[in-house]
Amino acid sequence: MSISHRPSDETLAAFAGGQLDEGLAIVVACHIEADQESRGRLRELQAVQGALLDAVEPVAMASGPSLAPTAAKPEAASVETAPMSEGMPKVLRPYGLGPWRPIGIRIAMRRVEVPGADARVFMLRAGPGISLPHHKHTGFEWTTILAGAYEHEFGRYAAGDFDEADAEHDHTPRVDPVEGCTCIVAMTGSVQLQGWLGRLLQPLVRF
Amino acid sequence: MVPAFALTVDGMRNAGAVAQGVRFIVLFDPNSLIAAIARSGDRAAFAELFDHFAPRVKGLLMRGGAPAELAEEVAQETLLAVWRKAALFDPAKASASTWIAAIARNLRIDIARRETRSRLSQVYEILDEEAPEQPDETLSGAERDARVRAAMTHLSPDQYRVVELAFIEGFSHQDVADRLAIPLGTVKSRLRLALSHLRGRLEDLR
Repeated sequence: MSISHRPSDETLAAFAGGQLDEGLAIVVACHIEADQESRGRLRELQAVQGALLDAVEPVAMASGPSLAPTAAKPEAASVETAPMSEGMPKVLRPYGLGPWRPIGIRIAMRRVEVPGADARVFMLRAGPGISLPHHKHTGFEWTTILAGAYEHEFGRYAAGDFDEADAEHDHTPRVDPVEGCTCIVAMTGSVQLQGWLGRLLQPLVRF
Repeated sequence: MVPAFALTVDGMRNAGAVAQGVRFIVLFDPNSLIAAIARSGDRAAFAELFDHFAPRVKGLLMRGGAPAELAEEVAQETLLAVWRKAALFDPAKASASTWIAAIARNLRIDIARRETRSRLSQVYEILDEEAPEQPDETLSGAERDARVRAAMTHLSPDQYRVVELAFIEGFSHQDVADRLAIPLGTVKSRLRLALSHLRGRLEDLR
């Protein structure tokens, strides 16, 4: 997997610090899971937090260690996992996924249920060669490609790539003519979709 | 706390015989404390870790603007999680401070977003489990920490403060601007500069 589009330093720092909206964070996490370089940068940014922890002035605790005398022996805690289909990012395991719903010819969408998010999160699957809806929006639209590819004026985005678009963008991605494209998208703000496909998508994007 | 004549020797706990008449005082060594908890549920080791890290976690959260009560709660929960998860600590991945800072971040998210049923802390845990693909190309946690620390000494005090605020609490860039009474654009440019500075230093050291 050759990844050429990554989040900015500020976006990764906000992710590392736990400051991103959960919906945006999940899309960033899907990219990080796929990209070794971003994993390395995330570890560095987490090491910055470790260094800050060491350097900070301690503040006395009001109460001491609260281990009950009968506290169970330490145990290996594991992350709750739901069975996932192959090729699905592991970071999506904690979330519910809606069914794939066709929203046009050779284009389908499924909702990712993120109760704590302001952003709307969904996966989009588009057949080879089609154009994704032309749209404008007021907030962020962050995308990680899960399979296949699309292309727009800023380049080609293939599996693992992260596409960080803001309100300035007004573009129409073209889906790879052979592979098609599956991606996960988080959107904040309101979206105005244009064209016939946009009108079809509109009610769904709003959920 | 630590006498001026204390010696620090890696692995002192296993050093066994030491020179006659010389009493080595082992400096705070979180890795072996965490290992002792994982091995045998060592409560004395836990107390020592607690005394060191709980006030720092609390201090970090309060420095980021959290009220004392919340900071105390997160610090308590963080150290309890250290107790429970001691067996999962891998010094090859991260130093103890970095590992504990990440636990504190996850708990702050869990506590702050309790009512929204956030699962974000699980996302961070899944990413932490991801094994590096080429182990020989990645640094040990201790090496990475040492390099990051060295790079951070080159930040200006202004940059350091922006990085600190941008990292340690749920601060948006706008919040940081308000707290430091500087324009939003200045926060963004300082943070961008500080991060690219850190990145440049780290790449030089590679």
